Amino acid sequence: MNLFRSEDHITRWLGDRTPGATIAVQKLSQLAHHWWSDRLDENWQPHTREHNQGLLDHLELTGAFWRLA
Amino acid sequence: MEESDRLLRNETYGLFVASGRAPSATAVAMALGSDVDEVVDGWQRLHDAHALVLDAGTHQLRMLNPFSAVPTAYRVQAADRWWYANCAWDAFGICAALDVDGRIESSCPDCAMPLAVTVTNQQPDDLDLLFHCLVPARQWWDNIAFT
Repeated sequence: MNLFRSEDHITRWLGDRTPGATIAVQKLSQLAHHWWSDRLDENWQPHTREHNQGLLDHLELTGAFWRLA
Repeated sequence: MEESDRLLRNETYGLFVASGRAPSATAVAMALGSDVDEVVDGWQRLHDAHALVLDAGTHQLRMLNPFSAVPTAYRVQAADRWWYANCAWDAFGICAALDVDGRIESSCPDCAMPLAVTVTNQQPDDLDLLFHCLVPARQWWDNIAFT
């Protein structure tokens, strides 16, 4: 899960490997906010799979790659 | 999650955030008035629940997600301290968890040129950067250190 300067850099870095998914850094920041903002809450409980899938769906991170199971 | 594990998790995270480094089982046991074996057993339950990650070999703290307990390629300056993140996603996650702005520093995995992005009110200042996730979501926890 890395940051890159451009699509060209991702392609070169991947080489023969199967590409994963690429998203804009702004969406990554949104995703991180939704995913992690409750982590230091005193009453935090592990997110359920359904909860996390909902976070991904909310940001339109859909399709087989983004399915948690 | 059992109440005792919730308290253990909170104490572990609290000590980490207060000091910037992972607490030992001894330190957590002292803070809770517990004993080391109870802490180690509790950490294992939290590991199994994906609430933290232990090192496979030493059973010491490896990740207090999104924070890393060991040096990584992603450093985050936030809340007057430098932190390590487990990956780019977690780097933004540190700002989110602490509810502060921050600055993320790393390098492009392809060309090794420095990358830096400042996050203000959740907005990165360099919108040209791209995030690539290699591992499909269903496999993230198969090997979380690689993911």
